[in-house]
Amino acid sequence: MTRTALFSNRRTVIANTVLLLAMLTVVLASLAMGTLHIPPDQVVHALLGQGDPLTRMVVHDLRLQRSIAGLASGAALAVAGCVMQSLARNRLATPGIIGIDNAATAFAVASVVGTGIALAPSTMALVGAATATALAFGLAGANGTRGYRFIIAGLGIGAIAGAITQLMLSQVAIDDANAAYPWTVGSLNSRDRTSILILSAGLLTGYLCLQALARSLNALQFSDPVAVALGIRLRTLRVIGLSLSVLLTGCAVAVCGPVGLIALIAPELARTVCRPGRMPITASALAGATLMLAADTIGRTLFSPLEVPVGVITAILGSPYLLWILLRPANRSMR
Amino acid sequence: MNQNAVHTLAAEQLSLAHGKTVISEGLDLTLPTSKVTAIVGPNGCGKSTLLNGLARIHKPSAGSVLLNGRDIHTLPTRTVAQRLALLPQDNTAPEGLTVSDLIRFGRQPHQGWLSAWNHDDQQAFETAVTAGDLEDLLDRPLDTLSGGQRQRAWIAMAVAQQTPLLLLDEPTSALDLGHQIEVFELIRTLSGQGKTIAMVVHDLASASRYADHMIAMKGGRVLREGSPRQVVTPELVRDLYGIHCDLIEDPATGSPLLVNVRRAH
Repeated sequence: MTRTALFSNRRTVIANTVLLLAMLTVVLASLAMGTLHIPPDQVVHALLGQGDPLTRMVVHDLRLQRSIAGLASGAALAVAGCVMQSLARNRLATPGIIGIDNAATAFAVASVVGTGIALAPSTMALVGAATATALAFGLAGANGTRGYRFIIAGLGIGAIAGAITQLMLSQVAIDDANAAYPWTVGSLNSRDRTSILILSAGLLTGYLCLQALARSLNALQFSDPVAVALGIRLRTLRVIGLSLSVLLTGCAVAVCGPVGLIALIAPELARTVCRPGRMPITASALAGATLMLAADTIGRTLFSPLEVPVGVITAILGSPYLLWILLRPANRSMR
Repeated sequence: MNQNAVHTLAAEQLSLAHGKTVISEGLDLTLPTSKVTAIVGPNGCGKSTLLNGLARIHKPSAGSVLLNGRDIHTLPTRTVAQRLALLPQDNTAPEGLTVSDLIRFGRQPHQGWLSAWNHDDQQAFETAVTAGDLEDLLDRPLDTLSGGQRQRAWIAMAVAQQTPLLLLDEPTSALDLGHQIEVFELIRTLSGQGKTIAMVVHDLASASRYADHMIAMKGGRVLREGSPRQVVTPELVRDLYGIHCDLIEDPATGSPLLVNVRRAH
């Protein structure tokens, strides 16, 4: 290893450490804050199984599961976004923008409002995600994930899926529509244990597969001829990468609904802080988990006891950051 | 892999097309081993397409490209990448990528799934750095380099691939004269080390000066093939570019020089 490599690796290590610390801080805050405020030291005690029963109950049974749901869904969305951006070599190509979220939502809502589909909402979300991606991929034609056709096809599919969701909600009884509402805004309020378990398994699988493929995926940043000349099997790698990001998105949407912008902003942040020329999978995961949980904690406590869905918070806080990224003069993230 | 074994690259009845537009039909050629071959011809004559075809980037519509006698599209792309390197025209790099990182990518075809950077990789890396004369530029991001330095870095990446065959698509386009010479001399050095090289070149004079073998193309066909002295004649120049010229011998190198160039009437 040359000195250079060691130095730039150190940059990524430092970035990941800082992100990890930020994530742990947010976890602590999310467990401490709420209608009942618990001091941080008591939170740690409760986590270790000590302290008074009420605190333990609040931390373990009420807040911990929600925090885990937030971390895992944020990480999954961010990693999915990071992979898809790299495959498409376009920063706009995130699952939210190319309609995967919307399609997953439409399928989940269809299952909630009872259109005679027997599958659970979370399974339907995954089916929806896969359907949307397959359609976008098919409509993009020979170019595959490259170029604007993929994004435009995805935008169209997303719009149609969104319209179908609205149509379904307007046609059913108010109680059914209420039951389906959390699916449409993006919220961590409606998570169930099974979906979180599926998400955690999906996240672990996706993350490990991507780490194994990291070296090849890095070479995708070059033009197609360069990547092929380096011995990359483009088609296979793209199909695998796309499948993994669909898996991650589907699992995440099944838990938190369509939370926008995490998949766009977290990888962007990761690219800014990490060593250039590498796909920042770990940093994206950490940044996504941190942002999602922070947004949810803010949404939960800002107008307490009223709760603002996490999707609304990410939209309000994320948009200015997104604009800043897009408008700042030295645009140094993808190329 | 045995570096000393003779590796051959040839086209056999090779036809190339962009969609339904036929570019070339029935090309037969073999790259001379350990020599520099220049592919020349006017814009749109199919020389880049031919190079991409030889490098298995462009799939043939008929016929085949043979690497060591075997159809290149039946070989695993990784195996091909251990024998054949390509410097394409479109070589944009991710922003912020340093010279050293770029050269490391050249080791991709030799590295296993999870295997670490080993002694061979380091040696190949150092050889490539020396070949490209890039010792002082290793930490520099590519986007801060001059055109010539950047091109040297890309060639160094291909060198790090340690392939007996090297294909270059217009390696000196958009470079000033000094940087062109820099790159051509690097190519000569690599050829001196036994590599078989093919390059697409626009400038007939540089092609004559730096290549051992020349393939002149027009309209997707090979008009003439041989040593630069045999190939470059006033008639060929007229056929290729529609211009008249006289030829003299470069007093220093003996390679053909175009003088008194004027439009054909």
